[in-house]
Amino acid sequence: MREKTRVQKGELQKMKPLVVEGVVKRYGDKTAVGGIGFEVEEGEIYGLLGANGAGKTTTMRMVLGLILPDAGSIRYFGKEYGKEQLRMLGYLPEERGMYPKIKVSDQIVYLGQLRGMTRRDAEQSLRRWLDRFDIAEYYDKKVEELSKGNQQKIQFIAAVVHRPRILILDEAFSGLDPVNVELLKTTVKELRDDGTSILFSTHRMEHVEELCRNITIMHRSRPVVQGPIKQIKARLPQERVVLVGEGTIRGLEAIPGVTEVVQREQEGYELRINRPEVAQRVLAHAVAQGPVRKFELMEPTLNEIFIRTVGERHE
Amino acid sequence: MNSFRTVMSFTIRSKLRSRSFIVTTVILVVLAIVAANVPALIDRISSGGGATKVGYVPGEQDAVIQGLQSYFAKQEKPKVELVPVAASGSPDDALKQAIADKKIRGYLSFRDNPDIGFPDVTYSSKKLLDSDTAESLKAALQSVKTDQAVRDAKLTEAQLAKLFAEVRLDSVQIGDSADGKTEAQQGTTIGLTYAILILLFMSVMVTGQLIATEITAEKSSRVMEIIVTSVSPLKQMFGKVVGVFVVGLFQLVLLVGAAVVNLNLSQNRSALASLGIDFSTVDPMMIVYAVLFYLAGFFLFAMLFAAVGSIVSRTEDLGQAVMPITMLSLAGFYIAIFGLTHPDSPFIAVCSFIPFFSPFIMFLRIGLADPAWWEVIVSIAILIASVLGIGWLSAKIYRTGVLMYGKRPTIKELAKAMKAFKV
Repeated sequence: MREKTRVQKGELQKMKPLVVEGVVKRYGDKTAVGGIGFEVEEGEIYGLLGANGAGKTTTMRMVLGLILPDAGSIRYFGKEYGKEQLRMLGYLPEERGMYPKIKVSDQIVYLGQLRGMTRRDAEQSLRRWLDRFDIAEYYDKKVEELSKGNQQKIQFIAAVVHRPRILILDEAFSGLDPVNVELLKTTVKELRDDGTSILFSTHRMEHVEELCRNITIMHRSRPVVQGPIKQIKARLPQERVVLVGEGTIRGLEAIPGVTEVVQREQEGYELRINRPEVAQRVLAHAVAQGPVRKFELMEPTLNEIFIRTVGERHE
Repeated sequence: MNSFRTVMSFTIRSKLRSRSFIVTTVILVVLAIVAANVPALIDRISSGGGATKVGYVPGEQDAVIQGLQSYFAKQEKPKVELVPVAASGSPDDALKQAIADKKIRGYLSFRDNPDIGFPDVTYSSKKLLDSDTAESLKAALQSVKTDQAVRDAKLTEAQLAKLFAEVRLDSVQIGDSADGKTEAQQGTTIGLTYAILILLFMSVMVTGQLIATEITAEKSSRVMEIIVTSVSPLKQMFGKVVGVFVVGLFQLVLLVGAAVVNLNLSQNRSALASLGIDFSTVDPMMIVYAVLFYLAGFFLFAMLFAAVGSIVSRTEDLGQAVMPITMLSLAGFYIAIFGLTHPDSPFIAVCSFIPFFSPFIMFLRIGLADPAWWEVIVSIAILIASVLGIGWLSAKIYRTGVLMYGKRPTIKELAKAMKAFKV
């Protein structure tokens, strides 16, 4: 009986598109990544956060097989890194780059072929993607002739043209205008819904909140916060209160437990409190002065969590 | 599809389509055509210029003038044409006037020299270093003088024939194997060796630089990150090297083809023949060796260039980084040029075994010095072994280098980083 469960568990493990376990990378006596582990499910976007130099890119490069880890293991659908795995990976590097003087079609087809597509397949896939982004006329253009935003789209196509099962997006939306960010975000979500497993890194917390279910925050080469965003948020106390009354509310600073009061630009106040119970006292205080239109106990934003976890450890 | 072939054909196609490549190739082919026609052109220009007009004052040394005229008349393309200049007053003034009027280029004046029974002749011309005309005149005068002297000696026809029979000196190179090379063959061999050395050197430098530039450009444009995650660096590097090799070969074939076709035009053929070069005497083994050493030399240097290209992150830094390789091939080339005149020196013999020099120098020795067969085999074996060794090392460096950005790593850093990869 026990034997059987173990086998089943093993098979379950095997099915996971990407499993990273205890991965360590050292350069000389400097540790670039000090023991990171996470799992990415099928159809999931996994967020990898961290300040500059925290080890995100090194982690991604190890996942891509560009660098061998000194310790730990990385498994793709239960298998070690190999030629087969190389082909199901898609990569959008942080530092963007294409061949400037070569036609879009030529280089995307080339990259597709390198990842095992036939020329015909790659051409078709490219045309579909260009249509999808509404830039079909760039098929025969050289990359250097395109605007920066369109170059980014081409770069994105280069990462997905071969329908990767594991997609690695390093700072996917940096340097794009809001319209294009929205476009790419929708596309990434579609890919996720098609079952692609996506490892996603960014500095923009609102994207993470929108896209990811699970995250790892890295700091100085180590994972410091890890898990589903909901749980991470729940673990932290709710310390922010938004309060809007009919008129001015006086004496909020005087309530014990309130650490900061900020008059908001439009209307009302934003308060910081040091204990959740204080919120009720704030409400009572406000109601005593007149009708309250809005009272909200805000859950911490990822931005706050990030700054707190990373900032605290700076001390 | 095999990714090595994908990389290779992509490299070839994008190179062949690039405007700079097309322009360079056209320029090179035009240069080759011009160069091939140079001997004939020079021939035509110098003969087309016609004879130099040389003035003389009639009535002075008529016998000599007559002799000269009949001497030049017998020549097919006389370099000198004698023009009488009538002198009303002082002959000198009249002659100088004729030069000023551009009727003649120079003139002859005579002074009796009773010692040899022939006048001393002065050729005056405004042009500096008109040695060509002076030489022709001297030969002509010598002939006239000999004629006169012989006529005075009253020799028989047979004696005359003996006297004027040309001396023959043939120089033959002695080899262990073959019958040796005749003078024409030697001239051809030296010319050919020289030409192939230059081609090899140029081709190694140009294509090598091309490889390094391509790789650095891929790195600096960051396209490298995508490439290395799609295909193993080893395949990518060799695909690139072979791709550029094919492109370089194509260029070379065009170049050599244009030159050979033009050299075989009849007017060039005769011009070359007059220089003692005849391509029908070329030993086919020379061509086989040329190809062999070209291949080995190309890959040896190309691999080094690829490794260096992979270390550098910015194209601006590349020139400095490839300097040692450039020096190495320059050294090989110049030693070979030195060897053209001293193919037997022990220094050359030693250098013909040193891998980076041997493509130039062993080829030179084969062409000019007839080395022992085992020397050739040892040299080629060393060369091939080092191509493999350098290839392996370059692949390792490449694997490490392509992902290193920022400042150029020191050898120590590189060696350390290289341990982190298995190729």
